[in-house]
Amino acid sequence: MIHLSGVGKTYEGKRKVTALEDVNLSIERGEMVSIVGPSGSGKSTLLNLIGGLDRPTAGEIRIDGEALGGLRDDQLTRVRRDKIGFIFQFFNLLPTLSCLENVAIPLHLRGWPRKKIDERARELLGLVRLEHRLTHLPEELSGGERQRVAIARALSVYPPILLADEPTGNLDTHTGAEILALIGDLHQRLGATVLIITHDRGVAESCPRTITIRDGAITADEKKLAPA
Amino acid sequence: MILLKLISWQYFRKHVVRSLLTVAGIVLGVAVFVGMHAANQSVLYAFRQTVTKIAGATQLQISAGDSGFDESVLDRVQAVPGVRVAAPAIEAVVNTGLRGQGNILILGVDMVGDRGLRDYDFENGDEDVIDDPLVFLAQPDSIIVTDTFAKRNGLTTGSKLPLTTMEGRRIFTVRGIMKPGGLASAYGGNLAVMDIYNAEKVFGRGRRFDRIDVAVKDGQRVEDVQRRIQAALGSGFTVEQPSARGEQFESVSRIYSLSANITSAFALFIGMFIIYNTFSIAVTQRRSEIGILRALGASRAQIRALFLGESLLTGIIGAALGIGFGILIARGLTGYISGYLGEVYGVAAKAEAVSTDPVLIGFALTLGIIASVVAALIPARNAAAVDPVKALQKGGHQLVSESENRRRQMLAAIAIAGALVCMMIPGPDALLFTSDALAMVAALLLTPTLSHWLSRALRPILRAARPVEGTLAADSLIQAPRRTSGTVAALMLSLALVVSLGGMARASYISIRHWLDSALNPDLFVTTSQSLTAHSFLFAPSVGEGLRQIPGIAEVQPIRNARVRVAGTPIMIVTGDVRSFEKWSRVPFAEGDPRTAYDKTAEGAGVMASENFALLHGYHLGDIVDIPSPRGNLRLPIVGIVPDYSDQQGSIIIDRSVWIRNWNDDRVNVYRIYLQRGATEDQVRSAILQKFGGQQRLFVLKNKDVRAYVLRLTDQWFGITYVQIAVAVLVAVLGIVNALTVSITDRRRELGVLQAVGGLRNQIRHTVWLEAIGIGAIGLALGIGIGAVQLWYSLEISRRDIAGIRLGYNYPIGIMAALLPVIIFAAWLSAIGPAESAVRGSLVEALEYE
Amino acid sequence: MNSVRAGRRVASPARQIKTVHCLLAAALMASPLLAQSAREIVQTSQDRTRANSEHYEGVLTVIDSHGKTTTKRWIYDRIGSFGNSKAILRFTDPPEVKGVALLIINHPDRASDQWMWRPAIERDTRVALQDRSTRFFGTGFSFEDLEERDVDQFDYALLNQESMDGAPCWKIVATPKQAKSSQYTRTFLWIRKDNYVLAMMQGWSKNRMTRSIHYTNIARVQDIWTARRLEVWDAERRSTTVLTLDKLQYNTPMREQDFTVEALRRLG
Repeated sequence: MIHLSGVGKTYEGKRKVTALEDVNLSIERGEMVSIVGPSGSGKSTLLNLIGGLDRPTAGEIRIDGEALGGLRDDQLTRVRRDKIGFIFQFFNLLPTLSCLENVAIPLHLRGWPRKKIDERARELLGLVRLEHRLTHLPEELSGGERQRVAIARALSVYPPILLADEPTGNLDTHTGAEILALIGDLHQRLGATVLIITHDRGVAESCPRTITIRDGAITADEKKLAPA
Repeated sequence: MILLKLISWQYFRKHVVRSLLTVAGIVLGVAVFVGMHAANQSVLYAFRQTVTKIAGATQLQISAGDSGFDESVLDRVQAVPGVRVAAPAIEAVVNTGLRGQGNILILGVDMVGDRGLRDYDFENGDEDVIDDPLVFLAQPDSIIVTDTFAKRNGLTTGSKLPLTTMEGRRIFTVRGIMKPGGLASAYGGNLAVMDIYNAEKVFGRGRRFDRIDVAVKDGQRVEDVQRRIQAALGSGFTVEQPSARGEQFESVSRIYSLSANITSAFALFIGMFIIYNTFSIAVTQRRSEIGILRALGASRAQIRALFLGESLLTGIIGAALGIGFGILIARGLTGYISGYLGEVYGVAAKAEAVSTDPVLIGFALTLGIIASVVAALIPARNAAAVDPVKALQKGGHQLVSESENRRRQMLAAIAIAGALVCMMIPGPDALLFTSDALAMVAALLLTPTLSHWLSRALRPILRAARPVEGTLAADSLIQAPRRTSGTVAALMLSLALVVSLGGMARASYISIRHWLDSALNPDLFVTTSQSLTAHSFLFAPSVGEGLRQIPGIAEVQPIRNARVRVAGTPIMIVTGDVRSFEKWSRVPFAEGDPRTAYDKTAEGAGVMASENFALLHGYHLGDIVDIPSPRGNLRLPIVGIVPDYSDQQGSIIIDRSVWIRNWNDDRVNVYRIYLQRGATEDQVRSAILQKFGGQQRLFVLKNKDVRAYVLRLTDQWFGITYVQIAVAVLVAVLGIVNALTVSITDRRRELGVLQAVGGLRNQIRHTVWLEAIGIGAIGLALGIGIGAVQLWYSLEISRRDIAGIRLGYNYPIGIMAALLPVIIFAAWLSAIGPAESAVRGSLVEALEYE
Repeated sequence: MNSVRAGRRVASPARQIKTVHCLLAAALMASPLLAQSAREIVQTSQDRTRANSEHYEGVLTVIDSHGKTTTKRWIYDRIGSFGNSKAILRFTDPPEVKGVALLIINHPDRASDQWMWRPAIERDTRVALQDRSTRFFGTGFSFEDLEERDVDQFDYALLNQESMDGAPCWKIVATPKQAKSSQYTRTFLWIRKDNYVLAMMQGWSKNRMTRSIHYTNIARVQDIWTARRLEVWDAERRSTTVLTLDKLQYNTPMREQDFTVEALRRLG
């Protein structure tokens, strides 16, 4: 499903910074993988590259067999919107839109008819158990609820891949566990491939596979035989 | 200071474009202010200089309006104790007939009399100005031209110079060339000197002088001598110090200055809005920065000082740049204004350089800085109020709260009530201005609410246009009222200005056209010069007799126009056969019964006043006007008030017999001619030219020529208005660009999210475009509405204070229709840059952006 | 300024040029027994020119610094005694100025009145006097040079005796009592001892001579010694003006009524 070969990313500036170097990774359909590592190790860069938000400076990334390197920006966007859902640490909800509207945005962008959008958005919010918060603005929600809205948005078209960058980083332990449980649940129910960046050991342990990154390189790739 | 350097400089470096746009707001306001005023001042200065140059060492000038006075007055003046020298002068504007040289002012002075007053010296120096004084005096065609004029036209002593005079085209002989400097530099060198008695003859002035220049004896107070001369001559004469001359010119300039003030005030106000907008958003954006500073121990006062310091710097830079640009604007305008005044007054006082009055510059600088700081006050206060703990939590945003909205609406209601109250009270102009200001404040306060409504109304339209992007754009408009309303307000104000200026222009046009139709209905005008405003030549009354004999003419109306000082202002006295007016003109009376009015005026028992005279000077039907004449004051009641646009200061119509009796002057400026049925303009015109053309300098203008002339003058006058409209549109566009740039930076993350969740580049681009167009449309809608209100105020102010003309309410539909696509296009244009920067930037950065 | 005006007595050029400097000239002798005073010499010089009327035809030639020469001719008539005279000067040539006439009425107690008749516009206009240094209608003469001035306005000193054109003269210096009353700070006069005729004058301003008038062709006309050629050198403009008096006659019969503004109009 996700295939990285020799991927590297360097930032050109006054000083050349290497964020990732020669990363080779393969993630199969339906896997749930956690990526751990200290701050600045390159976890987020890896996720951004996989999600097509950024382009690598070396190597090749294939999503569902399609090489991202050869795609133009709009084609990349299409891959992103059809196959990838993003969950951010800071939710990145549009503060001026209601929950329903936030969830509906990706569907709008796809040009869905309004009615269908509405149905789907309600359905998604139901999925994250926020049926009662449809018209609320993000600022009226708790952190956990906001993240659930963000998850609902990420799921808009039931993408095969779900990328989460520290989804619990901005939440308390209890809520974090709830969100994680939700993600786990969705993974189970929807069969999506899930990548979670975290530096919460607990989160990592809940995933069948954990990849450790240090200084821009994968230092460990552990698979558990069975879920914990 | 350290904070400014550490924090603000970094912020500026990160947001160069936005900061520059913020500065641009102040630049524009100050530039318009400086430009218009400097141009005005320069022209005024040039005019005053010219007056001074011509006046020379004159301490007092005696005149009697446009009509001049008998030569014998000179002896009376000379006999007044304290008078050292009294020197007569006449002035005539004549056409040079030389390509590109236009008119020239001929100054007739007494060459054998005492010239001690004049700033020129024909006798001293290495080379004599006059080749042979005796020949100069003996030959009436002798003329002295300026060195500049001579060089421009390749003239030397002995050259022939054709000029158009009362007796037709005459060849003059250059018998002297004035050295540069002093008098020779007045009117840009378009000045010539003749002997006064020769000039009287050549220009058909009879034995009359236009004025007498006086110098007082040493040790005498000018004021004392002034009083004595006034007493000796009576009230028909004006005795004044030379600086007081050109008041009429200054009154024109005053009107211009006022409209310049309004425009620059608007521009500055909008500049303030831009600053307010930018700073407000900056405060929101920099909340975490402020939070960190506060957490690190910065006091609220320090935070406030930081933002005010930034605005102070913005103000200083903006004002300085604005002054620079303003001077550039002034360069362009100066020529234009000189040209206009030249057209009206014959010879232009050419402003050679733009005067940069330090007081004006200082004032503009202060104005710019104050505007900038004041605009930043509220954002700075908000910044200081930022709670450090909350600010450090990411993701928090501010919204306009319901209570804030309600408070605004309340204030708006109070402002509207205040405006209405001020409007109702008939009183000083200040109340009207206050009412106007309150109305605008109310409009501003209501802008968020109104733009919210309009955004909602716009949503289905935008969605219909582009389902995805339209909805997103509309939602963004609806959901971010603060962001939207700043721009909308700036746009609205600019457009309101455009509407009011355009409406004024249109109303004046319509009034003038109406007047042209009703009052200026003669078929032909026989004049002494091509320009109706130049009063250099006058006809003898015998010309009228000759005209009456020409077949095809039904009526000949001799008209004498002269400027006379009434109620302290030089106004126009229009004299003619009132019975004939009654018969031929179709002037709608504003006040008074036409029959009685004509009867009384014809009998010399009353006068008719123009509407603007009555309004400007506070006269009503039945009031007595005091008109000074050489025979003493003429005290007559106003028996009718009519629309008449002969003069900006107002005019009074009296019967010709009254004029002849009191002014002892039967000459004529213009003969108006009505044709008999069946006679054609061309036929009669050529008959007149045939009869008089050989012996008399005269022009026969057709009604449509005169109309064209009047409308051309009006056009030129309103040319300045169009400049102002252009400025207003520029301000509007600047406002949109600024607000969008700010808005896009503000929404970088939001747009990043959109892209992250699958927004295509074009979708993002179109969203930004549509949003801009939406803002443009909302601004237009509100501007059109508020403009209607502002137009009413402008008309009212001009009616009461400036022109005294009752202008009809005419919405400038044409201008607005033309502006509609302009603004929408401008909005779209200004969205292109921000939209591109939104889609081109790094997504990762955008998402992390906070 | 007032005092200056009151002191002016303007007559015709020729008349005045002859008389003014006689009047300016003076002699101050150490003792009345030995000789006359400078003031008395000037007074005598002036007295000896007295006549009831005067007539001549003048030819005036101005040669400017570039060598350009212009010539004008006029006919001059004067009636009345010194200080109270009336004169008419009619230009006859060149054609541009033909018919232009100047009427001068001198008053003993105030400035003279002058009118100018201009045939082209058929008007008489009053001529107001300019600053005293103003040139007389483009000639080398200044108005001051033409004034009949009160002897008492100057202090005189006899310097020495010098010959001028071969004739022995008194050289006298005149300085104005009030500095402002003259364009010259000093005036040097050469008065012939034999006939009291002024032979030369030099006007100085500070340390520069600005103007000199050389009187020649001196002859006895009807018992009055008169110079019939005057040559003015204008040092500032570097121009020369020569006036010659032809057909000079004294005491011919003339009528008072021909010396009025009306007559000017009538005869013009």
